[in-house]
Amino acid sequence: MLRYASKKFLRAVLTIWIAVTITFFLLRLLPADPTLLVVEGDMTPEMQAALRERYGLDEPLLVQYVLYLGQLLTGNLGVSFRQLTPVLDILLERLPWTLLLAGSAFALTILIGIPLGVYAAVGRGKLVDKLVQFLGITSNALFVPSVAILLLVVFAANLQWFPIGGAIDPDTRGLAAYGSLLQHLALPLLSLVVVQVGPYALTLRTNMLEVLGEDYIKSARSRGFSERRTVWHHGLRNAFIPALTLMGLQLGSLVGGAVLTETIFAYPGIGRLIYESVQQLDYPMLQGAFVLLAVTVVVANLITDLIAMFLNPRIRT
Amino acid sequence: MKTRRGFAAVAAIAAAALIFSGCALNADEPEPAGAEGGATLRIGTTTDVANFNPLGSLSKTDSWILNAMYPQLMRIDSSGQKVPELAEGYELEDDGATVIFTLRDDYEWTDGEPVTSEDVRFTAQAIIDNQLGNVAAKLTWVQSIETPDDHTVIFRLTEPYAPFAEGVGFWMRVVPAHLFGEVDDLAGFANDSNWVGAGAYVLDSMTRGQRYTMKANENYPYAPEGGAQVETVEYVVYPDVNTMLLALRNGDIDLMGNSVPASAVASLESDPNIEMAEVGALGFAHLTYNMQHPVLAEQPVRQALSMVVDTESIIATILQGDGEQMAGPIGPIFPGFDNPDVEPYAFDPDAARELLEEAGYADADGDGMFDELSFEILCDQSNANLSRVAEVVREDAAAAGINLSLACIERNTFLSRTKNGEYDIDLSQWGVFDNPMDQLRSTYLSSNPGGINYNLVQDAELDALINDAAVTIDQDEFAEKIQAIDEYVHDQALLTPLYVETFRFAYRGDRFEGFDPSPSDLLGMVTGYSLAQVRAL
Repeated sequence: MLRYASKKFLRAVLTIWIAVTITFFLLRLLPADPTLLVVEGDMTPEMQAALRERYGLDEPLLVQYVLYLGQLLTGNLGVSFRQLTPVLDILLERLPWTLLLAGSAFALTILIGIPLGVYAAVGRGKLVDKLVQFLGITSNALFVPSVAILLLVVFAANLQWFPIGGAIDPDTRGLAAYGSLLQHLALPLLSLVVVQVGPYALTLRTNMLEVLGEDYIKSARSRGFSERRTVWHHGLRNAFIPALTLMGLQLGSLVGGAVLTETIFAYPGIGRLIYESVQQLDYPMLQGAFVLLAVTVVVANLITDLIAMFLNPRIRT
Repeated sequence: MKTRRGFAAVAAIAAAALIFSGCALNADEPEPAGAEGGATLRIGTTTDVANFNPLGSLSKTDSWILNAMYPQLMRIDSSGQKVPELAEGYELEDDGATVIFTLRDDYEWTDGEPVTSEDVRFTAQAIIDNQLGNVAAKLTWVQSIETPDDHTVIFRLTEPYAPFAEGVGFWMRVVPAHLFGEVDDLAGFANDSNWVGAGAYVLDSMTRGQRYTMKANENYPYAPEGGAQVETVEYVVYPDVNTMLLALRNGDIDLMGNSVPASAVASLESDPNIEMAEVGALGFAHLTYNMQHPVLAEQPVRQALSMVVDTESIIATILQGDGEQMAGPIGPIFPGFDNPDVEPYAFDPDAARELLEEAGYADADGDGMFDELSFEILCDQSNANLSRVAEVVREDAAAAGINLSLACIERNTFLSRTKNGEYDIDLSQWGVFDNPMDQLRSTYLSSNPGGINYNLVQDAELDALINDAAVTIDQDEFAEKIQAIDEYVHDQALLTPLYVETFRFAYRGDRFEGFDPSPSDLLGMVTGYSLAQVRAL
């Protein structure tokens, strides 16, 4: 069991290192020069050289890379080219918003997706099953930005039920602040959930159908357990394990989705920060954000793997 | 009951996320102003403030906020003229080699210290020493700076430079020497808290990605009697102009900081709550030819290219009429400098073809296209108007036998390639030229490598004309020399000017009135001076 866990852990560290390396070199392959964006217009070659030196861009690429890795190991993500502020400070300022958005989207997807999948499996072939399958396939085919823009135009611009952008109204306090928070959260959250919930329900339905045909379910029934208990306790528990892996995978696409939704709804999280930093070619900011996201996704996957290991003893060996 | 526990765990994740973000629940924000406070004006912007250090020249949102916060010696009025702001005025001595600014005595930093000549000297010296931002280029001629008393600053220049006072006066934001003097590394100074300013508004709080709140400076000398009505200015960040338009209509904001795209003008005009102010521009769209290209270095080729650009129809269709035609490189916002005798090249592809044939170009393979005339137009894809212009120009050029291919690319790459001269023809829009002399120096002087001589032109005759105008102090004589350069550049067809855009800024006319816009999309409606004049309805 320990061996399994440490193997998973090593793999996680390796994945993060690869992500860091790819991000580092990918950014430097861009055919643009960040020093040009700092001062548009008049800039003497001396000014540009001074900027390159300040940013450390005058060193050979490999030296930059080694320096960067060394910096990372001490937990230093560097200083933003544009904001002149430590990258970590800026990330920590933005992180709560992304956690709130992605976290609640993740939770809502599971809370809605699981019952939908279970009911569809139990009522196989019936109306509820067809409905869930239809919604699942539709949801699977949707693209986050299209849903987000549609919601924005209908519910924020035309009906004016929700604000156009932002995360909270600064003039609110106490309970009203929570209300404002939820009001701002609603549309970005909905656009993520609408797209994520379909694949989730469908996977759970498939797993559930397999499990419901297993002998132990039949024996549970024959032992006189209620149908409810059989399905929700014995059935779901086993159908849940493969779905767990999906959860881990979905976290990745959730993060990708959050970048898009946050940009569309001017939601002040990491996603929007990435969008802005790409425009400004702020290498340290982008590297920091990607490292943070990579770590989040990898750690989340590691945790789901470990949970799955506890739930299913067969994985442990 | 394990599944129920599972659901509970999931619900707990959501709750934890909510609580974790609880730190953002306005706990650190100041209490909202009560009814007795002045009005709050909300302005939409599309970018965050990148940097609060006023000594560098940075993004648009940066300059909106920093220009309102730090005083400049001069500002630009709605007709493009420089008028006094912190400086009461300036005088020239030694044929223009000495520039003497006299400062107002009623400016005060918000920490109670007076604004003095030492602040101006310190700022200029810091910019020179650290080569900060584009103001450094404008201070090139400074030999020494003297402050004989608290209200006099004397710049001694290595040689006379006619627009020195106005260029530095307009672009240099004066910072408090008693605070910035304490900073070790001014180029790396973030200046992102405890702001002290002396402009119309001073930054009070900010939440990156969301909003920037400024408070009126009670001591701002140019506020109307009784103080500015707008006590709080709030910049709210939106992902793009279209979303910002929705927010304006919704009433989430009162003013769009960015200009309204031509395509949205009609829909805003029909909204009774929204007013639009029109301002001219200090920049213009243009085609610039790479003079290092052996074929483009030929004058007839550039002239022929100018003849296949149908600017009138481009303005009528792509800008929907919201623009003005130009002939030479000097914009019509500078009457007296813009040569009235220079006419734009008439749109005439047939005449262009004849001109090229006379110049010896031929169509040997008979495919209707000249054999040697094939160029690439490089353009910035983020400017939708220019991408469309490129299509129109390509089609018209083909009629004259010139083969153009388009490379409308991502902005950062575009900037890199233009800066490095990696293009044949550059289709782009200049940002802000606040005076013709600086513009001509930056764009055409061969000895000015840090400028924006994207033509890569090395023309001794043009250099002489520019250097001669730069030291001419007599205003009439100076204007004549600028007009002569205008004509020379037009005749050489170093560029084909396309249009000066008319910018429109939209605001909630049902709530506010009295803006005093500046003629550029860089400043527009959001200068400190303008905001201080606004009245709430």
